Amino acid sequence: MSDARVVFHVDMDAFFVSVEELLDPSLKGKAVIVGGRPDQRGVVSAASYEARKFGVHSAMPLRTAYRLCPHAIFLEGRPRLYRRYSQKVYEVLCAFSPRVEMASVDEAYLDMTGTERLHGPPLRAAHLLHEAVRERTGLNCSIGIAASRLVAKVASDQAKPNGILWVLPGCEARWLGPLEVRKIPGVGRVTEQRLHALGIHKVGDLARFDEAFLEAHFGKWGLALAGKARGEDAGAWFDGEIGVAELPKSVGHEHTFDEDTTDQEKLEATLARLAEMVGRRLREHGLYARTVQLKLRDHCFRTITRTRRLDHATQIDMELIACGRDLFRRNWDGAPVRLLGLQASSLAPHPGQLDLLGAERARKWRQALSAADQVRDRFGEDAVSLAAGLRGSFRERVHETPVALPGKQPNGGKT
Amino acid sequence: MEFSVSKADLVRELTLSQGVVEKRTTIPILSNVLLEATEDRLLLTATDLELGIRTVCPARVKRPGAGTIPARKLLDYVRLLPDAELHVRFAENQWASLVCGRSRTRIAGMSRDSFPELPPMPEPLAELPAWVLSSMIAKTIYAISTEESRFTLSGALLIFREGAAAMVSTDGHRLALVEQREGLAELRAHYRALIPRKAMAEILKLAQEAGPEATVQFSGDENHLFFRFGERLLISRKLAGNFPDFERVLPREHPRSLLLDREEARAAIERVSQFSDERSHAIRLRLAAGELRMHSSLSDTGESEESLPVEYDGGDFEIGFNAHYLLDFLRVLDEQRVWLHFKDAQSAGELRPAGEDAGYTYRYIVMPMKI
Repeated sequence: MSDARVVFHVDMDAFFVSVEELLDPSLKGKAVIVGGRPDQRGVVSAASYEARKFGVHSAMPLRTAYRLCPHAIFLEGRPRLYRRYSQKVYEVLCAFSPRVEMASVDEAYLDMTGTERLHGPPLRAAHLLHEAVRERTGLNCSIGIAASRLVAKVASDQAKPNGILWVLPGCEARWLGPLEVRKIPGVGRVTEQRLHALGIHKVGDLARFDEAFLEAHFGKWGLALAGKARGEDAGAWFDGEIGVAELPKSVGHEHTFDEDTTDQEKLEATLARLAEMVGRRLREHGLYARTVQLKLRDHCFRTITRTRRLDHATQIDMELIACGRDLFRRNWDGAPVRLLGLQASSLAPHPGQLDLLGAERARKWRQALSAADQVRDRFGEDAVSLAAGLRGSFRERVHETPVALPGKQPNGGKT
Repeated sequence: MEFSVSKADLVRELTLSQGVVEKRTTIPILSNVLLEATEDRLLLTATDLELGIRTVCPARVKRPGAGTIPARKLLDYVRLLPDAELHVRFAENQWASLVCGRSRTRIAGMSRDSFPELPPMPEPLAELPAWVLSSMIAKTIYAISTEESRFTLSGALLIFREGAAAMVSTDGHRLALVEQREGLAELRAHYRALIPRKAMAEILKLAQEAGPEATVQFSGDENHLFFRFGERLLISRKLAGNFPDFERVLPREHPRSLLLDREEARAAIERVSQFSDERSHAIRLRLAAGELRMHSSLSDTGESEESLPVEYDGGDFEIGFNAHYLLDFLRVLDEQRVWLHFKDAQSAGELRPAGEDAGYTYRYIVMPMKI
């Protein structure tokens, strides 16, 4: 028992809404929806508990939210502000464990193994942590405690709002059993339907099937699913150690236009802006990309992706822009565009083969970009941008995972 | 049209035109070879619209005329015939009858009317030994880019100057430059043009067939380059666009230099590269006083190291390279020994043959890998 891991999953309650309430207490107790104006294209980033009573939840289209809850107060959302509060939370958490990892702007994992002498048994430590977050940030959170990241995450969800739940080691399968299968992280709507079709509704149902059966139906994922049903950190990044980053497989950004557009200049400017954001993240992670992918969705919801392999790996915005723009020009048929996306993949922590002809220009770009990144670190993402992307500047959506989450060391544990 | 040729002559000339015949038959006539019989000879012409070749073989012409036949089929068949005289007769309906000894064949041809006209060769601008041209090509062709997106790098830059010629190629990662003076004392032309890679490959064949004493006449018009080896003529479209300003990337200083035996270096790199990444072919070179170590490792497969004694005391130094890039150069080198020059791990390295030969200069510039 004593050698079991102790993992905390700290999840901020209605984070964006709570931050807005801190700054404008008159919002308290009201239906508040963060994400944009109700007539805008886009989705709900966060909803207050009051709004949730009407069936509003995050990732729901704003227009649907408006239909369900017309009296709600709709807010645009302020990503920079939320990030600042996220940083405050992170600082509090760091006082409790050396191994803290922000999984997104409003949730974190803490490896609390071996901290008993410092903070007391898990429930007491969680209570202290809960108090400290509340005191230092004015925000409520919920905490799940378990021997694995997966169960800790499910537990924090069950503890909401403003609660603490500890799933004792050895009790995972029994505790997970009566829960709906979609409570398992990674089970989305599609998987849920396929599971329902097999007569699997509760996590406990899943545990009754043997692994071979699940693997036959769901491939490798099926094996992970079986493990998850037992409460193990099986599959994807749940396997990883807290605070040790795995190299991302790809880095991408996309943008949905408020109105479908055929304005080529605007489209290419947007693409430039997306490339800039991708380049910024590549440099944050210390990664070089060899492959660039363009995603294009038109007004009829036809989506195409087109990929090109670069002849050398890069993290320079201009090279990403040039490639993205070329892919766009070759593949856009002139139909009104709804969404543009740009993704960089084939990532490596080293540039590999260096370029001979462009070496001097690349060196100058690297210097300019590193200066620009320093300005952004201090004054925010919009402080500097390429002229090419100016017409394409758009408000960053608040549900986007911010550039760099604290607690992960780039290339940590490797090389 | 009706004529007789020797089987051996026809096979030789048809073989030379095969590299030019269009393989993908988007335009059917381009798969054909044009045969024209006049007086005492047979002219053979093939083209893919980028490249054209015209060769000649002696013939006994009974009735002059012209027609086209699928080039590949004709060669495949004629090659199987016994060494004897082949009699060819074109009928009005464009079918060709071939008779050789007791063998008889009919091949469906096409009218010459739709065969593209090749441009005539202007007055020669230069005449140089064929071996000079083919040696320059062999020393640069491997560094040409195979990326379709880098169009202006899909050939080599040819430069003629007073008493000298140069050829440069690059794929953006490395650059090969050869400057030739030997054998060119008579050269007076001033000329620059981009030769497509495919034309270079054909020139190598033509020069080989022409023999060591042969010369090549060179000329160019607005869009084409002409290379005449005796009676054989190769016509190539010029590559449009600007070749990069290559002189800007030539290293000016080399703080670290070492001399290697070409064969020892080649063999060592070949062995080490067996354990380099399949895509990047990355190997590490580590220099220390008196020793060059080469190292590669592949996480799940293994690792390999080679050590070569060298005269070097420029301080410890490590640099990564694509092993294939180094081997490409070492494999075409005639000289026994080779200079390696480095500045630092981020800057281009340079390889050169060692020797006092003032007849030519050969520089190979390679960007390192950061691994």
